[in-house]
Amino acid sequence: MSSNQDLIGIIQAKLSSGETASSCHEASLMQGWVRASRILALVEHENEWALFIFISSRMPPEVFTDLAIERVIPVDSDFKCEIDAGEQSGDVYVNISSRKLKLLFEMIPGIKTNNFVSEIMRSMEALMKLRGPPPEFQWLHKYSGSTSNRNSADCDPAPVDAADVDVTKGAKTVAEKMLDIDSPDIVVPRQSIAQGATPIAARESVIRYQMSMKEDDYTFTETLRVFIGTWNVNGLPPNASLSPWLASDMEPPDLYAVGFQELDLSKEAFLFNDTPREEEWRKAVIAGLHPAAKYRQVALVRLVGMMLILLVQEKHEKHVRNVAWETVGTGIMGKMGNKGGVGIRVEIHNTSICFVNSHLAAHVEEFERRNQDYHDICSRLSFSKFVPTKCIKDHDQVYWLGDLNYRITEMEPRIVRDLISHNSLSALLECDQLNRQRQHKNVFDGYREGPITFKPTYKYDPGTDDWDSSEKNRAPAWCDRILWRGDGMEQKEYRSHPILRTSDHKPVSALFESQIRVIDVVKYRKVHEEVMKKLDKLENEFLPQVTVDNTEIIFDIVRFLEPQSQELIIANTGQVPVDFEFIKKLDDSKYCKEWLNIDPAASSIKPGEKCDVKLELFVDKKSASKLNSGEDKLYDILVLHLDGGKDIFITVTGNYERSCFGSSLEALVHISVPVREIPIGKLVELENVREAPGGMEPYPIPKEIWFLVDHLYRHGLKKQNLFLLTGLHSELIAIRNWLDNGSSEPLPGSLYSIAEALLLLLESTAEPIVPFNLHSVCLGAATNYLQCKQIIMQLPEFRRNVFLYLCFFLQELLSHANENGLDAKTLATVFGAIFLRDPPRVSARGRVNPAVMDRKKASFVYHFLVNDLSDYVMSKSLHLSGTS
Amino acid sequence: MASSRGGAAQRPNNQSQGKICQFKLVLLGESAVGKSSLVLRFVKGQFHEYQESTIGAAFLTQTVCLEDTTVKFEIWDTAGQERYHSLAPMYYRGAQAAIIVYDITNMDSFGRAKVWVKELQRQASPNIVIALAGNKADLANSRAVECDEAQAYADENGLLFMETSAKTAKNVNEIFLAIAKKLPKNEQVSGAGSTNQGRRLVESEGNTKAAGNCCSK
Ligand SMILES: Nc1nc2c(ncn2[C@@H]2O[C@H](COP(=O)(O)OP(=O)(O)OP(=O)(O)O)[C@@H](O)[C@H]2O)c(=O)[nH]1
Ligand SMILES: [Mg+2]
Repeated sequence: MSSNQDLIGIIQAKLSSGETASSCHEASLMQGWVRASRILALVEHENEWALFIFISSRMPPEVFTDLAIERVIPVDSDFKCEIDAGEQSGDVYVNISSRKLKLLFEMIPGIKTNNFVSEIMRSMEALMKLRGPPPEFQWLHKYSGSTSNRNSADCDPAPVDAADVDVTKGAKTVAEKMLDIDSPDIVVPRQSIAQGATPIAARESVIRYQMSMKEDDYTFTETLRVFIGTWNVNGLPPNASLSPWLASDMEPPDLYAVGFQELDLSKEAFLFNDTPREEEWRKAVIAGLHPAAKYRQVALVRLVGMMLILLVQEKHEKHVRNVAWETVGTGIMGKMGNKGGVGIRVEIHNTSICFVNSHLAAHVEEFERRNQDYHDICSRLSFSKFVPTKCIKDHDQVYWLGDLNYRITEMEPRIVRDLISHNSLSALLECDQLNRQRQHKNVFDGYREGPITFKPTYKYDPGTDDWDSSEKNRAPAWCDRILWRGDGMEQKEYRSHPILRTSDHKPVSALFESQIRVIDVVKYRKVHEEVMKKLDKLENEFLPQVTVDNTEIIFDIVRFLEPQSQELIIANTGQVPVDFEFIKKLDDSKYCKEWLNIDPAASSIKPGEKCDVKLELFVDKKSASKLNSGEDKLYDILVLHLDGGKDIFITVTGNYERSCFGSSLEALVHISVPVREIPIGKLVELENVREAPGGMEPYPIPKEIWFLVDHLYRHGLKKQNLFLLTGLHSELIAIRNWLDNGSSEPLPGSLYSIAEALLLLLESTAEPIVPFNLHSVCLGAATNYLQCKQIIMQLPEFRRNVFLYLCFFLQELLSHANENGLDAKTLATVFGAIFLRDPPRVSARGRVNPAVMDRKKASFVYHFLVNDLSDYVMSKSLHLSGTS
Repeated sequence: MASSRGGAAQRPNNQSQGKICQFKLVLLGESAVGKSSLVLRFVKGQFHEYQESTIGAAFLTQTVCLEDTTVKFEIWDTAGQERYHSLAPMYYRGAQAAIIVYDITNMDSFGRAKVWVKELQRQASPNIVIALAGNKADLANSRAVECDEAQAYADENGLLFMETSAKTAKNVNEIFLAIAKKLPKNEQVSGAGSTNQGRRLVESEGNTKAAGNCCSK
């Protein structure tokens, strides 16, 4: 929220005094084939609203000079805002249009977008509610050049002239990147993409937008003859044929929209909206249609006495789609249906048309109420079956007919009649309220009306052509009118039909030749396919692309505890930033084997840049045993995934040199020579079958353990902090080599290194000395020496041997506690963790408190460090003082 | 009070264009049979005599316009080399269509194609649309797999079948078009694919996997 406040502040600084930015939002503008960041702001000035579109030299902008005004669109009666809500996809598309200008914005779904769009909607509603002349938007003149000029219908508002406003440098380059939608080839907007613009994806809204921009390429126009009729029938039933009204032209119209007012003045009609007149007049209309063509009724809508019926020639029926109708009552209490309007909307081919029949407030002096009724109908008549709902103004063409009830004022009825009888209509028309109100733009702004050449249609003595002779002696008036708005509409006739004398009004009709856009299906397909092709090409072109310098990473000889690394260079050779990531294969838990480390395993690379990825291969105590037993190999296929794009496989291989580290105790006791002298096959066999090669008598404990312990026994009993201080890595390697290869030299390395090597040897086995299946039993028995003892006695022979051998040695160490400073608790803790290494599952579950577990392990081992072990049956060779 | 409304709520279809249905399509088959070449021909209209072997899974999109719908393929072109075989499920799980390619001049590749068919029938989504492509049809002189034999095999297994040539473009568009036509275009399927392009196939496997498992147990 606060960041939005900051943004409003920056925008406000860009505006003149009296202008208030009430709401703002970041959005992506679809420009041809790319989208680019924009900042939108709704700006208010004395109850007039406008949408400002800014380009910013950086996102988000930090000071007002970062912003340049690209366009200013007044929220006037031409302004439209539609949300494309028809897709499940993540983004929200908002269409902003005004006359010929159509802009498509992509916004991130969420509360901010909702708020912003509802602010726009609110400003549009405010406009609808506005009474009196429509806003002039004087205050926008200073932004001219960026204003979408509302009066010049055919002029597409031009982008800002750079000289007009202080376009900062950065903003200018973005503006220059505006792509021509019809450019034959895709310009590679490398720079604009680097600046945050991204190619647009083939989403339905985008395609709809692209198609609407190319409408001229696949549509042609067809002329439709549209007959509009209106008649206030004064509550009377039909008593004569309507053909003098409906069939007065030579050629049959393609479409009829016939409206009635005061169809029924009865209480029943008013209260229950029910009347037999509906059917009577409907039949009369159908009977009176032009005889030279066949018609089908498309829709009929009625509210009390207002009825509108729409018919088309049979041949057009299949091209009429999305028919809807609505009613609005503006009568008593502003709601009742004695006054108001009814509307029908249709799409014929590719053109949307709305017909409105209204009966506005009566009485000579009430012209302002009539204006208000008009505005109410405009704001309340919405076809709600559409998402978002469509209003009258959301149609390409609108016909508005009805008893609008405007009178001739400031003139004596006598003079009016006199002028009419002398056929001086022009003087009268000047006094016509509707004409005056329209001149002041108080009503029907944007609508046109043809010249009136017929006599006023009200008020006659029914059954005659005589002016009202009642004592009210009403002045004649042009109550019954037909107006229209939209492009490609031409009125051919506008007349009254005095010969129909049923009512105190005369019927009026108008004939139009209206241009309907028809889709050429073949061309449409072609254009659609071209759009799709272009989008495909774009999408493929802007897929993330990288090359890697090597897909086969080969590590030569890999030895235990000796890390090796190689570099993989990932180069972004595409046009968009790449997010890469090494991903897991289907059933794996990690994206690489445990002996491999990838750094970084995920990152971003800008176009033209590279990323060095370090692959470090390191066989340690965790991975060695599986490599020794052949359960695992130094072989892995890495899947390098590019977000939104392809995957690349990278194979990693290495040659592992087996070691006593990682070998099982059972295998080692069967080997009398250094491990390296045994063929690999034999080693694997030993690990898996555990039989003595050539029937050799197995050692009671692995000779490697004996070498290490024996050395410590001879030289290290008095050494301080043995097993507590770590050794040197290089010495560990030397010790490993000495053990694996055999040597006549003395064991290398410091006592600390040798002690650590011993621990490492015990930690590298697949299973600890106390097998995993006894782990929890041991922890349970930890406080009870007897039970612990029993468990140890039941261990497999070699394990028991190693366990006791080491405990003997540790007791020996403790007997020199005075010199070496060691104590039983400390050693029990160190060796508890080693003898009772956690099974992999337990640590993963993490249910048991690890500190408690460690204490139990220590107390288990502790028993064997402080109790006399001499009653354990031990083979002689286990004596610590033996020689090799 | 008095107010009537036209018709039931519905979404206007203001253009005659249909909706876009998005599908994942995977290409499988032995190395060098021409998978990448078929995709290259279909998407870019090109053919390379020296097409590099794919090491990974290439991703491209291409749209096919049908009468009433537009089908957008998200194409995953997999690596045919045997050592990458174990990675293939990452790409065919969650795919709604597959093209299994063999080389008509290479009998072994046809055998390998059959193995792929079996694997898909067992492991992939049960409604996956599978097409068999006998590629390199331009090399009919050195033909090793008879067209009739492959056709019979395809019929038995309910596969679409065409002999194609990435080199001459024969039947390349046609096989993709045939798949597009055969794919179900109801909301559900298209909805699954209408999010971000190029996302990992594995993530959308959920249903498919479960369905595959229940028949084997
Ligand atoms: N004559 C002929 N050669 C083809 C045809 N299609 C592919 N080739 C050639 O066959 C070789 C292998 O084609 P690729 O498209 O790389 O094969 P692949 O199936 O993608 O192979 P991997 O990526 O290793 O799985 C290339 O040299 C192509 O030029 C074809 O229709 N006719
Ligand atoms: Mg390939």
